[in-house]
Formats: sequence, structure tokens, C-alpha cells
Amino acid sequence: MRRLYLLLSPRIWGFRNVLSKATGKGRKRTLIMVLVGLAFWALLFGLSFRVLKYFQSVEVIGDLLAHHLLGMILMVFFSLLIFSHVITALSNLYLSSDLELCHACPAHLEEVFISRAIYTLVDSSWMVVVFGLPVMMAYGFVFKPGSGFYFSLFHMGLGLALIAGGIGVLITMILVRIFPAQRTRDVIMLLGVCGLGALYLMFRLLRPERLVDPDAFFSIAQYMAALQGPDSQYLPTHWMTEALWAYLSRSSTKDVFFESSLLWSTAGAVTVINVWVAEAIYFAGFSKSQEAKRRRSGRRLLDFFVALIRRPFRPELAAMIDKDLRTFFRDNAQWSQLLLLGALVVVYVYNFSVLPLDKSPIRVDFLQNEIAFLNVGLAGFVLSAVSVRFIFPAVSSEGAAFWIVQSSPVPLRRFLWTKFALYLFPMLVLGEVLIVLTNHLLEVTPFMMGLSSVTMFLAVFGIVALGVGMGAMYPNFNHQNIAQVATGFGGLMFMILSAAFIALIVALEAGPVYVLVMADLRRGTVPGWQWLVIGLSFSAVLFLMAAAVHQPMKMGLKALSRYE
Amino acid sequence: MIKLIHLTKTYKDLRAVDDLNLEVQEGTLFGFLGPNGAGKTTTIRMMAGVLKPTSGSVIINGMDLAQEPQKVKKCIGFIPDRPYVYEKLTGREFLKFIAGLYGMDSASSLEKRIQELLELFDLSHWGDELIESYSHGMKQRLVMCSALLPQPKVLIVDEPMVGLDPRGSRLVKDIFLGESRRKTTIFMSTHSLEVAAEVCQEIAIIQAGKIIARGNSEELKRLAGVEGSLESVFLKLTEGKRIAHATPLSAA
Repeated sequence: MRRLYLLLSPRIWGFRNVLSKATGKGRKRTLIMVLVGLAFWALLFGLSFRVLKYFQSVEVIGDLLAHHLLGMILMVFFSLLIFSHVITALSNLYLSSDLELCHACPAHLEEVFISRAIYTLVDSSWMVVVFGLPVMMAYGFVFKPGSGFYFSLFHMGLGLALIAGGIGVLITMILVRIFPAQRTRDVIMLLGVCGLGALYLMFRLLRPERLVDPDAFFSIAQYMAALQGPDSQYLPTHWMTEALWAYLSRSSTKDVFFESSLLWSTAGAVTVINVWVAEAIYFAGFSKSQEAKRRRSGRRLLDFFVALIRRPFRPELAAMIDKDLRTFFRDNAQWSQLLLLGALVVVYVYNFSVLPLDKSPIRVDFLQNEIAFLNVGLAGFVLSAVSVRFIFPAVSSEGAAFWIVQSSPVPLRRFLWTKFALYLFPMLVLGEVLIVLTNHLLEVTPFMMGLSSVTMFLAVFGIVALGVGMGAMYPNFNHQNIAQVATGFGGLMFMILSAAFIALIVALEAGPVYVLVMADLRRGTVPGWQWLVIGLSFSAVLFLMAAAVHQPMKMGLKALSRYE
Repeated sequence: MIKLIHLTKTYKDLRAVDDLNLEVQEGTLFGFLGPNGAGKTTTIRMMAGVLKPTSGSVIINGMDLAQEPQKVKKCIGFIPDRPYVYEKLTGREFLKFIAGLYGMDSASSLEKRIQELLELFDLSHWGDELIESYSHGMKQRLVMCSALLPQPKVLIVDEPMVGLDPRGSRLVKDIFLGESRRKTTIFMSTHSLEVAAEVCQEIAIIQAGKIIARGNSEELKRLAGVEGSLESVFLKLTEGKRIAHATPLSAA
């Protein structure tokens, strides 16, 4: 037991040191992260509260909806927990650099395994706790159950996480026994991304917006009844849902003890089975994961693609673009996210094809053009979300090999602008696809088509520069996984600034667009003084876009030059 | 060929390199010795343009690194102590990438040069494998290939023998001697006194960020007043200062 604590202590001491030895800058960053987190938390709570209040106001089926929603939420969290444990267990049990030390020390294999499984449980579960707590609190505020609800929520939540963790770790151990750990990560990432993409597409194509259509209310009741399908009395989420609902609905709680016992005995059994399996196969898997991954790179297609793209650039820029493209397309965790991006675009465009414009009391042609204009903002936010994942980490993607760029004769300015050039073209294509296709579906006027396309075209320059520049201002060359880079403080600041940039463009163009669209639809003229205001607004937009390109790149260059 | 003038680097309250002055002639294989934390790597990283000095200058081939970084870097090949490279490239692709950064054309002469270097460093069978499958020593040799690829006038090397087997170590020593004969100036930090004694024409010992002795092996022995190996010279010169690494500013 003492050795188990010792094996856990690096993480505990590390966490304590992060808190106690944070500098002024670090504290400020933490404070901002906490504030943004709280704002998000409040938003989620508010949203859940409103939905549950609405359900409560619906007679007969209101409670049924809230009950089913609870079951669905727990089921989603349970599935996410299993998936998250599979991924995290790979790092914590097989790929972490400190594992050699742990296995070399005189600790039992069981102790090493349990300590790493606890790391995995904490790493995988905290996010679900953060997202789940406001929703559960909303249930508590709306239904006002007794303290038994909170007690059950706490201990059954822990039990549920243990079961999900046990299943996730077990899957990982078996997969690593079959594939090497490095390959397992690739396989899981690929399957996960494809699964998520398919789920997202499927969910969207089910048209869940019909749920809020009062005309279809009767069918919703049928729909909710049908949702009972995937539930089963043998699932841990079912036991937890029923126990919590007993408190929420103030009905009999005589089964709660039985459901809690079922949950905890399952958690105990899963834990014991995990330790048994670990004793049998964990070390063999770990040993296998140490073997070097040797593979010949299938290069012909990539060579052709890279040669095509690098052609117009001078040698040093072409070299960097060549390297970035090869690195991206050889990392399964990276390129596979393009599949998700594809699903996102399909759903985005599909959303516009099913807009019920004919049911609106506002003039359809006016509404079409206004939506097309607001679509610039919406597409801008989508591009920001894509940028935080792909462009913001572009500088950090050099990783520990950044010394090569630093010691090379290529100026950092050129290095940064190469990153900008590399991402600009695909982002322009993505932005214009989103705008032109949706505008086409909305059948907007040529003026609106032109204006929104040009606005998006220019805004992309700003978004890309913000991504590259801020990525250089907040670089992380010591990451284990490039996906971590976007989730840090810099990524958060980028999202905030990028959203503000888009919002400002929309705000500056809103007035002139309204005047011009109305004049166009009414076939009227625009008075001279309004032209002046329009001119000023568009000039301000142009200035803003130029500043969004120039400033972040300049600040990023300055920060990178000082990087040591 | 290399001139360090009043070179200083401070980190918050720590002076890692303290007013360093040094000159190295063309074609010299210069050994830079010192205990752990003496400021060797900091000096080398400043010379390679990876770290910005707090004050002072680095002059290479008559040019100031701070004034003309690109021109100076074109003359330098840098081999760091830890061979971090792009794991998803093959060895050959990595060398082509380096050639691109140094503005070398991608004609057949380049392919030939890359092949020669891969063969020289015993990596020709691994040239088309992803670097992630290389061992530490292989990555170290690949980084050496990349440093030699642009045929630099100055080679700056930090702990070249770490992670190399005896054969690799012999190979590297021979290559450095050959480069030195071809008038390449080599500035090499090392912990290995045997390596320094065997290949370096001139040696400087750095302690707490300052040069405390300089000369060839014989001159250092005279200075220390000891006979025998370079190890005894090193121990004598750094005696009593073994734990006095870089100077905290508060103590200065």
C-alpha cells in the first residue's frame, strides 16, 4: 500500500507544485481559465434548467421526458467515459515516458498497474464531472429532491466511473496484446473519429429539431417511448437512473439500496477482473509496446501530392511545406480529423437546406438575405473552431525539433509566413464552400452572394493570421500529443479573440447590409449621407481585417524570437 | 573564425555564462570542457543562434550573429546534445528538408551527397525508414549528417558522443578530424576527457560560466602543475569548485 502511494505521489506532488509555485503570469492564466470555465458552467446549468423547467410544465409526459433525458445523459457519459479510458489508458499504462522507471523499481506489477489505472480514472473522468455536474445540479434545482439524491449522485457516479474505467482499461489491455501500443492508438483514434463522424451525421439526419415542433408533439411521445429501446435493466446506467429518479420524483426509494448494491458489486467485480487480467497480460503488452515501430512509409501518392503543392514555392519554403504535409498525413490522429471536418461541412450545409423559412411571419426574401449575412458570422465561428484545432498548433507542431528552425538560416518571419501560406488556401476553400453553397440553397440576391463571399474571403486572412500568430505567442514545444496544444490557455484566448473578430465584422457590416438589402428589395435608392456611413463601415471592416493579419503575426514573431 | 566577446547569459537570478571572451582560429578542433551546469550548453546554444545572449556578441566568419543571423547560420552546422528531429519523416526526407532550409538545390548532386553522408554514417539501409523507428544513436548520427550536409565552415557540437556505441564514436572522431583537416572549425563541448585529449588541438575549461583555463593538453598540464592524464588536470583545475556551478546573481 505504501508503494502504491509512492507510485501515485509524483502526480500528487506535481499537482501541488503547480498550485504552490505558480508565478504571477501562471496564476493570471489559471484565473482566466477558471472564469471562462465558470461562464461555460453557468451557461450549461442555465440551459439545462430551462429545458427541465419546460419539461416540468408539460402535462402527462413532462416527467417522462425528464426521466428519459436523465437516462440518455448518463448513457452518453458512460459511453464517453469508456472511450476516454481506452485512449488515456494507452498513454498511462503503455506509452508514458516514466513507465520504464516504474517497472524498473521494486514494486509489484499489481501496484504499478493499479497506480496507472488510478491516473487513468482521474484523467478520463474529470471532464465528464465538469460537464455533468451543472446538468445534475439543474435536476436538483428543478425537482428539489432530498439529500439522498446528492449522496446517490456522488457514490453511484464514482461507481459508474469505476465500471467504465474497468471496461476501458480491459479493452486497451486486450487491444495492445493484439496490436503494438503505437498501432493500437492509431486504430482506436481512427475508429473513434469515424464513429464520431458517423454518429454526428446520423443524429443530424434524424432531424431532432422536429422535437420542438408543436405540430409533431404526439409523435414525440412515441419517439420518447421508442427511446426506451437501448436501455436495459442490466446496464449500470439504468440502475443509477432509477435510483436518482426515485429521489427526483419523490416516489418510493426502497429499490435504491438494491440498485446501489448492484452498481457497486459490478464495479468491484470489474476492478478485480482487471487486476487478474493485468497480472496475466499487462507486462507482456508493455514489453511489446517498447519494441521499435518499424514500417516502410507508403509514399507514392503522398510524394505526388507534396510535389504538386510545393512547386510554386522557393526551396526553403518548399522544404518546410513538404515537411509539414508529410508529418500531417503520416499522423493518423491528425489527418483522420479531416473526416470529422467533412461531416461538419455536410451537416452545416444540410442545416440550411431544411430551414423552415416558409413558416416565418417575416418576408421570405428579406429573411433569406439576413440569414445569408448572419451566415458569415456562423461560418466564421466554424472556421475559428477548425483553426484552433489545425492552425493554432501549427507552430507548436515543430515540437522538440524546433531547434532545427531556430538554428537554420531561415528567418523566423519567413517560417511564420510559410505556416500562414500553407493554411490559407485550404481555409479559403472551406470558408467559400460554406458561404457559397449555403447562399445558393438560400437563393440570395447576387449582391448578398458577392458581399458575403468577399467578406468571408478577407476574414479568412484574419482568422489564419490570428491562429498562426497566437500559436507563436503561446507555443508548446514539449507536448506529448499535438491535440493537447489547442486545449491550453493560448487556444482559449485564440477562440475568444477569433470570435470577437468575427462578431465585430458582423456588427460593423450589419447596418450597411440592412440599408442596402432593403433598398434592393424595395427597388429604392440610398440617400447620400447613408453612403458615407456605409463607406465608413466597410472601411472600418477593411482596417480591422488588415489589423487582424498584421498584429498577431507581428506579436507572434516577437514572442517566438524571444523563445528560449 | 569564432569570436565570443563579453558573452553573458542570465536566467532570472542565475548567471549561466559570465562575460565569456574566446577566440578560435580557422580549422581548429576546439574542445570545450566543464563540469555539469558550468554553462557549456548555454554557450553553444547562443553560438548556434538558438538562444539570445543577455549581452555580448558572437562573431563567426567575421560576421556578428545578432546583426546578420541568416548569413552566419549559413556557415554553421549545429549538432545539439539531444537529437530531436521530425519523427514522421524518413531519414532521407529529413536531409532533403535541411538542404531546402539551407537553400541547396534538389538536383542529383544533392541526392548523391545525401547518399554519401548516409553511407558515411552507416545509415544507408535506414534512409527510407521513418525516423520514429531509429534508435537514439541513429538519430544522433542522422543529425550529424544534417549538420555536415551544407558543408559548413563552422561545426558547433554539443556532447557528440552521447548515445553512440564505440564504433559510432570512433567514426565521429575520424570524421571530425577529417573536417578539421579540411579547414572546418569545430567547436565541441564534451564530458569525455579522453575524446578531448585525443582529438582537440585546443581546449578551454569553463567553470561557473567563466573560462578558467585554456590551451592545448601540455599547456593545461603546466598550468595545473600536474603530470599525467587530462582527467587529473581537469580535477585539479576545477578543484574546490565542483559544486559551485553557475553563479546566482545575488551571490555575485
